[in-house]
Amino acid sequence: MSILKDIFTALRGGANEVGEAIVDANAVRILEQEIRDAEAAIANAKRSLTRMKATEIQLKRDVGILNVDIADYERKAMDALNANEQTLAHDVAEKIAELETDRSDKSKEQAALETEINKINAIIKAREKRIQKNKRELNKIKTVQELQRATESISNNVAATSSGDHRVSKAMERVKAKQQNWQDRMEAGEWMVNEGSDDLDARLAQKGIGGSSGGSGGAADVLARIKAKQAS
Amino acid sequence: MTLEDLAFQLNTYTSESGTTFDALVGEDRILEVTCSNNDEFPINVTATDTQLLAVTPLFHVNEVVSGGVEALHEMLLRLSPAVPLSSIGLQGDTYILFGAMAKETLFENIAHELEVQAENTIDVLEVVEDFLN
Repeated sequence: MSILKDIFTALRGGANEVGEAIVDANAVRILEQEIRDAEAAIANAKRSLTRMKATEIQLKRDVGILNVDIADYERKAMDALNANEQTLAHDVAEKIAELETDRSDKSKEQAALETEINKINAIIKAREKRIQKNKRELNKIKTVQELQRATESISNNVAATSSGDHRVSKAMERVKAKQQNWQDRMEAGEWMVNEGSDDLDARLAQKGIGGSSGGSGGAADVLARIKAKQAS
Repeated sequence: MTLEDLAFQLNTYTSESGTTFDALVGEDRILEVTCSNNDEFPINVTATDTQLLAVTPLFHVNEVVSGGVEALHEMLLRLSPAVPLSSIGLQGDTYILFGAMAKETLFENIAHELEVQAENTIDVLEVVEDFLN
């Protein structure tokens, strides 16, 4: 079951005020509790899984050793028969039977453990899926709550508090005026740059016309002036 | 990134197109961002465990011309797919523009999203202005 329908129902019911519960606070607590429970269960399951896996590995190793032992005794039984040692061969056969019983017990135990381990793995996976789902649901609730808070935040929310005549139109006019102003300044800036390169004085100076007539013409001019004064 | 980190970075940032940001975290843990490309409609930013939510309150249902709500809604539904990065919604009686980002979003992308949302606000309001008082 999805929580989205609950949220929608609550919103239609008028749960719009800040702090007003979107979804029953209990539902949120239950979801959070479920997540915590499932996480604890998974941690437990993983711990017992480690122990079971260790036992299973040990059993597998035991069966392997028994296989080697049985093969070894079978060879020995054969040798005893070849040497015509009937009594000895019989004793070895008994030993083999004993080992085989042991092997069959351990094999059964290991198979049972393996099934159990697979089952626990499946349970862990299912629980993890459930946690993910619950977390997503919780997230939906929190998102709606945060959206609500952000919308109702009083500091800048003219929309929710005032509805003066043509409020939006007036604000839009101001924004557009500012944008136009910015645009004008950008264009003016470009014009200035263009004008600068087309400056009349610059063009005259380039041709050497009127260059030193006005201001200082540099050290050479100053020196020439002083020399002229000395001469007079 | 915490809201304070985001505020600090925004206040010293200028986007490629020259937009600057004024950002302030309020007592209610909501970050108010004013983008220089639209300083009339600030954006409220909040955070959940996984997301950053950016909300611009647009107008109150009271501001809609009488009898115009249905036509406005159809307009908004048609408009919504055309608005990049932001969605149009109704929260209580306030129409909002909102965007959601993962909390791990790179700062430059958050700034870009906020800048676009400020622009979208102007674009959307331009279209629906006729429906408002």
